[in-house]
Amino acid sequence: MENEQNDNVNRDELIMQQQRDIEREISDTIPLVSEKLPVNCLNAEYIGDAVFTSKIEDLSAKYSHLRRTRPDGNCFFRAFAYAYLEHLISNKEDYDKFRQLGENSKDKLVQLGFPSFTLEDFHETFMEVVKRVDPSTSNPDILSEQLHKIFNDQGYSDYVVVYLRLLTSGKLQEEADFYQNFIEGNFTIEEFRHQEVEPMYKESDHIHIIALCSALGVGVRVEYMDRGEGGTVKAHDFPEGQTPKVFLIYRPGHYDILYPK
Amino acid sequence: MSTPARRRLMRDFKRLQEDPPTGVSGAPTDNNIMIWNAVIFGPHDTPFEDGTFKLTIEFTEEYPNKPPTVRFVSKVFHPNVYADGGICLDILQNRWSPTYDVSAILTSIQSLLSDPNPNSPANSTAAQLYKENRREYEKRVKACVEQSFID
Repeated sequence: MENEQNDNVNRDELIMQQQRDIEREISDTIPLVSEKLPVNCLNAEYIGDAVFTSKIEDLSAKYSHLRRTRPDGNCFFRAFAYAYLEHLISNKEDYDKFRQLGENSKDKLVQLGFPSFTLEDFHETFMEVVKRVDPSTSNPDILSEQLHKIFNDQGYSDYVVVYLRLLTSGKLQEEADFYQNFIEGNFTIEEFRHQEVEPMYKESDHIHIIALCSALGVGVRVEYMDRGEGGTVKAHDFPEGQTPKVFLIYRPGHYDILYPK
Repeated sequence: MSTPARRRLMRDFKRLQEDPPTGVSGAPTDNNIMIWNAVIFGPHDTPFEDGTFKLTIEFTEEYPNKPPTVRFVSKVFHPNVYADGGICLDILQNRWSPTYDVSAILTSIQSLLSDPNPNSPANSTAAQLYKENRREYEKRVKACVEQSFID
């Protein structure tokens, strides 16, 4: 019995180990969320590249700064959470609304069938982060500093990402008939949620963005910068027509945060 | 030191004690909350019935954002269990969700015993027998059930 099983090497673990090594290398060199950097810092990555150089120039006309996020597959969620909470620090009215929505969201997810025991853990941490940037408790500078510290603390930062993933997954389930139309291949909504939305480190697509934006009632503008023609970046608003509060730049495979002029 | 992973594992443990699922049990080892011992009892009406299968669960500080490594210590003849006790189960790999806790992991492995997936075999002999010679498969499983009393 011993011998005949030996040819079945545990491949899963070998693959997972290799993946862990790559992830470690990235996490040792790039912070979860960087300091504010001038937009033209992007030039250094595209020296001699006419297409990108002209697009960066176009981007600089509209945006002054950006913040990089770690490319770990969670970048959309992390960038979104950081940028929106940063907006809330100086918008008391939006903050109060969001906090209320956050408080109520747990019961809604439980109703949708999420396990309340584990959900509670993420919800508590998420709300703790929201409370720590309450505009009525301190001045915006101190709160921004606080936010930056929280988002570079892996424990808190990842819990926020998880909770946003669960909210996204809940929205997909709630409006499954609608979102089913956007899913490519033979995935059911159920499979898609468990395979592409809830697990950490899975990259986000339009469907994730649309579901999260509508779950939270927040508008996002994404500036697309790729090798396409035209020499300008292309903006896309989610959901269409809503005033964006969060600005992101998308380069194939990755989201960073933008700051309008 | 309290980290999110350790805090969460304390909660998992508390829940497992207060609301234990049928046929599984688990607890952290004496001096390390990151390493657990667990037992799964073979599900009724399956060839695994009456077996008591021991496992170890190893967590990292990235739990619950990443799954733990779960391994049978007892010998288990099953299409989705490797010779070294490693388990081929989607929720422990690419379909892991941070909403799973220890209780959910153990009950999923328990149902894997009843419902093997011979299409993604970790033990090709077991997978083949399961598909082609169910009597022989059950005989081999029962042998490891008996072995599990001695271990």
